[in-house]
Amino acid sequence: MVEQVNSFAIKTKNVSVHYGNKMAIDDVTINFTKNDVTSLIGPSGCGKSTFLRCLNRMNDVIDSCKVQGEFLLNGVTDIYGDSIQVETLREKIGMVFQKPNPFPKSIFENVAYGPKIHGLASTQSELNDIVMDSLNRAGLYEEVKDRMDDIATGLSGGQQQRLCIARAIAIRPEIILMDEPCSALDPIATARIEELINELKENYTIIIVTHSMSQASRISQRTAFFHLGKLIEHGDTSKIFTKPDKEQTNDYITGRFG
Amino acid sequence: MIYFALLILVIISYLFYYIGKKRALNLKFNGNIKLSSQPDYFGYYVVLMALIPALLMWFGLLLFKGNFQEMFVMSPILFPDISTWSDGKLGLILNKLNNLSVIVNLPLDDLTNGEKSILNMASENELTAAKNLANFDKIYGWSNLTLFIILPIILGFLATRSISGKLNAQPIVEKIITYIIKGSSYIAILITIGIFLSLVFEAINFFRYVNPVDFFFSTGWNPNRAFVVDASEGFDKDDLENAFGFIPLLTGTLLIATVAMIVAIPLGLMSAIYLAEYASKRVRDIAKPIIEILAGIPTVVYGFFAALSLAPFIKDVGESVGLPVSAESALAAGLAMGVMIIPFVSSLSDDVIKAVPQSLRDGSYALGATRSETIKKVILPAALAGIMGSFLLAVSRAIGETMIVVMAASLRANLTFNPLEPATTITTQIVTSLIGDVEFDNPKTLVAFALGLTLFLMTLLLNILAITIVKKYREKYE
Repeated sequence: MVEQVNSFAIKTKNVSVHYGNKMAIDDVTINFTKNDVTSLIGPSGCGKSTFLRCLNRMNDVIDSCKVQGEFLLNGVTDIYGDSIQVETLREKIGMVFQKPNPFPKSIFENVAYGPKIHGLASTQSELNDIVMDSLNRAGLYEEVKDRMDDIATGLSGGQQQRLCIARAIAIRPEIILMDEPCSALDPIATARIEELINELKENYTIIIVTHSMSQASRISQRTAFFHLGKLIEHGDTSKIFTKPDKEQTNDYITGRFG
Repeated sequence: MIYFALLILVIISYLFYYIGKKRALNLKFNGNIKLSSQPDYFGYYVVLMALIPALLMWFGLLLFKGNFQEMFVMSPILFPDISTWSDGKLGLILNKLNNLSVIVNLPLDDLTNGEKSILNMASENELTAAKNLANFDKIYGWSNLTLFIILPIILGFLATRSISGKLNAQPIVEKIITYIIKGSSYIAILITIGIFLSLVFEAINFFRYVNPVDFFFSTGWNPNRAFVVDASEGFDKDDLENAFGFIPLLTGTLLIATVAMIVAIPLGLMSAIYLAEYASKRVRDIAKPIIEILAGIPTVVYGFFAALSLAPFIKDVGESVGLPVSAESALAAGLAMGVMIIPFVSSLSDDVIKAVPQSLRDGSYALGATRSETIKKVILPAALAGIMGSFLLAVSRAIGETMIVVMAASLRANLTFNPLEPATTITTQIVTSLIGDVEFDNPKTLVAFALGLTLFLMTLLLNILAITIVKKYREKYE
């Protein structure tokens, strides 16, 4: 693949993360290509979630967490630099969490929350359009169109997670980070989300942390394998899962450890 | 004696728990009998079987001790004319016998002169009765001890013997425990009802003297008018009409509580937000207990703080800008009260804000919201029910507060909405009406119950109101 500056959504170089004295990420360099789904896999505690949360600076609130290294958005903007505010950054890099976390507000208000904050709609009808469009793209609109004013926590787990995805895409991000988005869901809801991820990659760059290797092989074009804070291997999913370069990777994906 | 017996009872219970459990285990492993409950339940079973009958009987004895005493001592043989005695006389004689019974069996040398003369003054029959009473007390003491120690031991052994493969201890134990739990909650409810009823009955007494319409709607509060009149001659209706007007007390209460809430709600809520969302852990660990100390300061201290420091200060400030401020102002009492209830708002609100799950904060931050947007739009709405609860607690505390008002506001009723004037509250008037030589045949005293009942109903109404608001909100958001 020819490396071009603008073909990468996020470039990182020599990233290290410490929690107090404990090293969580050790010198990781990885680039994420645009409009691809990249899976971060690895055993529990390998640092993949920590790394994901570095990308939209969610680790900022943890006092003991220290992040070093270079993070470039679209190859130019320093994510940790002074030229970009963290709120603006998160407008560009959305996130979906492991456990669905809708606000205890109505379905409409949940999706409208981000656009309202960032002033993306000047009129109520524009706001309505954004909400409807986002729900549509998250594949939830048909299910909730008659109860937009109902409380969002009354939805099923899978619906809640799709609502969180709708909420994330409502602010028109470029990149969506997903931290094990299906681990709290049943297989049917999981399949629905995977289908959705597949559709979303047309417009967004998606970076997803997952524990399920079958899920990684199903949905992602690129896969990165982390172990003990180190990036062991990164490449095309088909290659990682068929003939990985490193023995450790092979051991992990064949289930010999982890 | 009774404490010693209680201690023994606890030890016995422990022993029986192990004996019961051990027997069950023994049956299971050595006797190869399949038990129908877990071994623990057999332990509990034995303990309950040993204790409950004894405790019930002990309670019964305690309840009817007076009756037994009377039956035993006040026989018509010793006191032939007993059937003609009034309740008052009966009580007096019993009291005398009680005193006599303590000394009647002592050797003469040990008695003081006073005690000797008491003995000499008593009639022969009374002395006999007193001896009977002393005997009764001895028997009663022993029977208590028996009930407390011997009966549980016997019952415990019987229960232990009854353990077998057929005995299913679990449902029995669970049923008994359920009854105990049920009983405890009913006791709390019954006590509440009892307090309420005693208020109601005395308030009804009050309303025999004063027309409820006058009480609730008249604007004059001069209870001393009822005091000057000789109670035996009855009361002049016209005098009473304007003596017990509740309205100035209500406005005074509301005025002072409002001032207090105006102080406490913003200060409390904002410090709660700071503590929960902005303060570092170290600051929070130090600041929170310090704020909570405010609630622990005795209200009488707030009272003289308000009366001696705050009120003169407010008066000075007011006069320097040309406002007439009275020396005892509702403002001073309200401010002090407001400071006192800050921790009710801040501590509870802080807890509910902390209880909002971190995932909601993360969700909001991840959408690019700032901290203040997150607090305003996600955290406070999610915590609103609890925050309302803390306000409500603070309001009822403000309405019920007495000491600060007694010291800093005024005892004189004053129908006003100006916080710079003196005002009095319902609770203060309850105190003043019960101070001194009180007799319960006078509306001046009985009004305390009517006021208490009204206060009770006010806080009840406030609670119902808040619950409705919270419910309405919850239906929408949860």
